[in-house]
Amino acid sequence: MPSTFHGIEVGKRSLIGHTLGLNTIGHNLSNASTEGYSRQRVEMKAFEPIYMPQLNREERPGQLGQGMDVTRIERVRDMLLEGRIVAEASGEGFWSARDRYILLLEQVHNEPTELSVRTLLDRFWSAWQELSVNPTEVGARQAVLERGKALIDGLHGRFHRLKETRDMLEQDVRGVVAQVNELSREIAGLSEQIVKSKALGDNPNDLLDRRDLLVGKMSSMLDITTGYQDPDEFVVYTGGRHLVQGRHWEPLAAVPDAGNESYSRVMWENTPDEVAPRSGKLAALLGLRDGDAREEIQKLDLLTVNFIDLVNEIHRRGFGLNGRTGQDFFKEQPFLNNLAGNYDRNGDGAYDSSYLFRLSGSNPLEAREQVGLRGALTLSAGPAFGGRVLVEYFPTDTVEDVVRRINTSGAEVAARLTQSGQLTLTGVPSESPDEPDFVLRHVEDSGQLLVGYAGLLNASGPAGALDWGGADAVLTLSPQAAFAVAPQAHPSAWIEVNPALARDPLSVAASLTGSGEALGDGSGALAIAQLRTRPVMLGATGSFDEFFAAAATEIGLRGETAELALQTQSQVMKDLKDMRESLSGVNMDEELANMIKYQHGYAAAARFVTESDRMIDTIINRMGV
Amino acid sequence: MKRISTNLPNDNMSYHLRMREWQMNEAQNKMAAQTRIKDPRNDPLATGHSVRFQSREARLERYLQNITRARGELGLAEGRLQSGLDVMQRVRDLAVQGANGIYTREQLAYMGDEINALLGEMLNVANSIDGQGNYVFSGHRARTQPFRMHTGRVEGSQGTEVITGVEYVGDIGRNAAEIDELAVSEYTLPGNQVFWAERQQIFATQDATAYRVQANSTIRIDGVQIDLKEGDNVFAVIERINSSQAPVRARLDPVQNSLALEGTFPHQIWAQDAGQGTVLQDLGILSRGNGSPPLNSADSASVYGGSVFDMLMHLRDSLYRGDQEAVGGSGLRGIDDSVETLTAHLSQIGARDTRLDVAEKRLAWEKPEYTKLDSQERDLDLSQAITELKMLEYTHQATLSTTARILRPTLLDFLR
Repeated sequence: MPSTFHGIEVGKRSLIGHTLGLNTIGHNLSNASTEGYSRQRVEMKAFEPIYMPQLNREERPGQLGQGMDVTRIERVRDMLLEGRIVAEASGEGFWSARDRYILLLEQVHNEPTELSVRTLLDRFWSAWQELSVNPTEVGARQAVLERGKALIDGLHGRFHRLKETRDMLEQDVRGVVAQVNELSREIAGLSEQIVKSKALGDNPNDLLDRRDLLVGKMSSMLDITTGYQDPDEFVVYTGGRHLVQGRHWEPLAAVPDAGNESYSRVMWENTPDEVAPRSGKLAALLGLRDGDAREEIQKLDLLTVNFIDLVNEIHRRGFGLNGRTGQDFFKEQPFLNNLAGNYDRNGDGAYDSSYLFRLSGSNPLEAREQVGLRGALTLSAGPAFGGRVLVEYFPTDTVEDVVRRINTSGAEVAARLTQSGQLTLTGVPSESPDEPDFVLRHVEDSGQLLVGYAGLLNASGPAGALDWGGADAVLTLSPQAAFAVAPQAHPSAWIEVNPALARDPLSVAASLTGSGEALGDGSGALAIAQLRTRPVMLGATGSFDEFFAAAATEIGLRGETAELALQTQSQVMKDLKDMRESLSGVNMDEELANMIKYQHGYAAAARFVTESDRMIDTIINRMGV
Repeated sequence: MKRISTNLPNDNMSYHLRMREWQMNEAQNKMAAQTRIKDPRNDPLATGHSVRFQSREARLERYLQNITRARGELGLAEGRLQSGLDVMQRVRDLAVQGANGIYTREQLAYMGDEINALLGEMLNVANSIDGQGNYVFSGHRARTQPFRMHTGRVEGSQGTEVITGVEYVGDIGRNAAEIDELAVSEYTLPGNQVFWAERQQIFATQDATAYRVQANSTIRIDGVQIDLKEGDNVFAVIERINSSQAPVRARLDPVQNSLALEGTFPHQIWAQDAGQGTVLQDLGILSRGNGSPPLNSADSASVYGGSVFDMLMHLRDSLYRGDQEAVGGSGLRGIDDSVETLTAHLSQIGARDTRLDVAEKRLAWEKPEYTKLDSQERDLDLSQAITELKMLEYTHQATLSTTARILRPTLLDFLR
């Protein structure tokens, strides 16, 4: 026989259950606009009926239901979909950062307008042309100096904008590292609370929502994967290592790197390992800072160094209106004051490297003469080639062929013949940030080409090679060879017109004829103006004009790629997020319909309780009174 | 996706509105700047092309300016030579007159005076200055007067000082202007070619049959560098000189077995030993000490062939002496030679001017072509851009109105 108060119990359970349902709907409606909220549902189940098959069951028809119970309040969320969103979000973060910063780099070029460095360079060449046809004019010389200064201002400006961009990227890297640490800490804290709550049998839905939101934010910064296998320990992996494990988290640190102009490396704080993210905002920032922005600065520096080198070479041989000669047009700033280029790289008090920029052989060579020698040059190269590259030469090669082969071999050495026919090797910007720019690192010849033929080195083979790894590398050079010490870092920042010329414009040399009276000779100015079309850039295959066109096209292509990739990735993310919203989002109409359902249920339960109450009242108050 | 949450239409609307607004902003920016390419990413390849075209245009502009300058200088030189030619015509008339008429010694002397005056005028022509203050016929020594005169008395001048010598102190440099990619055109003429009447000949008097070049050396003739190798004999030296670009012909003089140099057209030969060499000095062409031309010929060498001024002085002196035979013979021939040289140089200037004219026309045609190409890459098709903008605005309005319709009613509006 069921108990007297069975009806009231049934009603009571129903009232409580329906109230819980209504409260949950209220919670859903309140949080309809909350970011990252997934709708919660009450799961109702019929309460355990009586009687279970047991010895003390009543001999009555069974089983009799006992009303309803709310078993769980659960959130509607698809964890597989979540995993996919986390995986794709890093792509969006990556391209979004890349798109924004490459636009900044593109705008530095100022192409294809008339306001770019290229235009200033055009006008500089034009001023030399003017001087070449008016070699006795002082006005033409002043025009050359003024246009030179304008060009230098343009180069400085461009360098500073690029450097600023790199500095901004550095700030962002540090900011992102701090944000990632903050998120890790919060996720670990939430995991701890969630585990405690689950241990008591609850569904900490709001905490889970919040944790998922934080994981989503982190996934756009780093490429992470999440692990839910162990319900007691929520794991976030990045780069194959644990970032967050349960309530324990690993901090990242941004450590300044002296070899990379004090820009930071991202490391794990507690172990000396570097974090190398492959996707996400951090990866984009690091790639931009050490890749794209650095390359842009290197290209500008290479342009400047070539420019200074070539103009000075001709100008030094020229004569000014006042007969002075041997003047540089652009002031050259060496990296060190040491005449032999010796430098103490690791700071231990002893010279351990030689920083040489340019070597010129002593023997004049003919470009079309066949070398008649056999051998191979070993030259320093970037990490893609494993640090060294072998350039062979054969007896049937002309000098021109060998020069071209050196320039297209991938070695970080540029070769050319000067106007008087001497073979010159110059250092170029290095691909790896650990190696300095504009330094000749290794020059070796197994035959006689650089030794006896061009008059550069003293001996062949590894013993006679020029290597920057030791002091006094100049001793391996032939005594008549000319060399120059490496320039100070970033020539585009310190380039300036020789102040001696600025003070005395008459010293600007237009003439190449030695006699003091040959004032009408403009051949020097003409030679400088013709540098414009000489192939000295782009691995000695393109002229200055082609360099600008190629640089603008390249950055434009990168920008186009970034823009398209961002649009694609945004579309993908939008579709995934729409799917999630469709599944987990609150639909007001649905909630309101459910609310009506629960209201009716509640009203019905209340009515039933009233009826049960009346029945009990009949028994208690009216039976046998 | 069958279930639509309440936020979904909202989010979608924001997304699409944002996209459309960004597109409209881009379109408006491009229209305002009148360019299709706002950043290189809008069309990277076209950006590269446009940069190249603009560079080419700038260079063409510069070449046109250079051509104008060169033509100006050539025009000036032409004018001066023309007036010089007029002077020579008058001299020729006098010479013919003096050679054929029956004149007294005094009358011939008066003719001589007139020739002297015309000589002075010719000297003025040769020393003319251009607008910038540079001497036109001075080569590279633009601020030095090219022809220097010496005065004195000659037989028959009756005590007046007349010009007895004219020497050239300019140099043989030619200035060039760039008129196209690495193409130059010379536009100056050195005075010792324009005003030279006869082919110069330099005869050494030293026997050269046993001569051998001692070490690798270089000689320079009229600015052309000729390399000589150790062990060359005089025939090898002659061969090298003849096969080089220098406008002289070398040969072995049979009388004295010595080296003889002869110009291939009328000009003053400038010879020099370069660096440490002494070949021409050893062969007796140049004097010891390696002085600079043109005053460096050896005392023992004979130099023949004079300038226009030498011809005029010879004619005048013949008239002063009353030597009518000389007037009609060598004097007249000298004047004819001078006229021939001046005319030849006038036609050379004309030819150069024609070449510059052709180049100018070609560049002037090319320049707007490049502007057109650049415009095709860079400029906006305004009608197309406006149409696109209109379409964007229209779809923008349609999106907004549609969304407003969807957003309005919920169940709340219908419950009691």
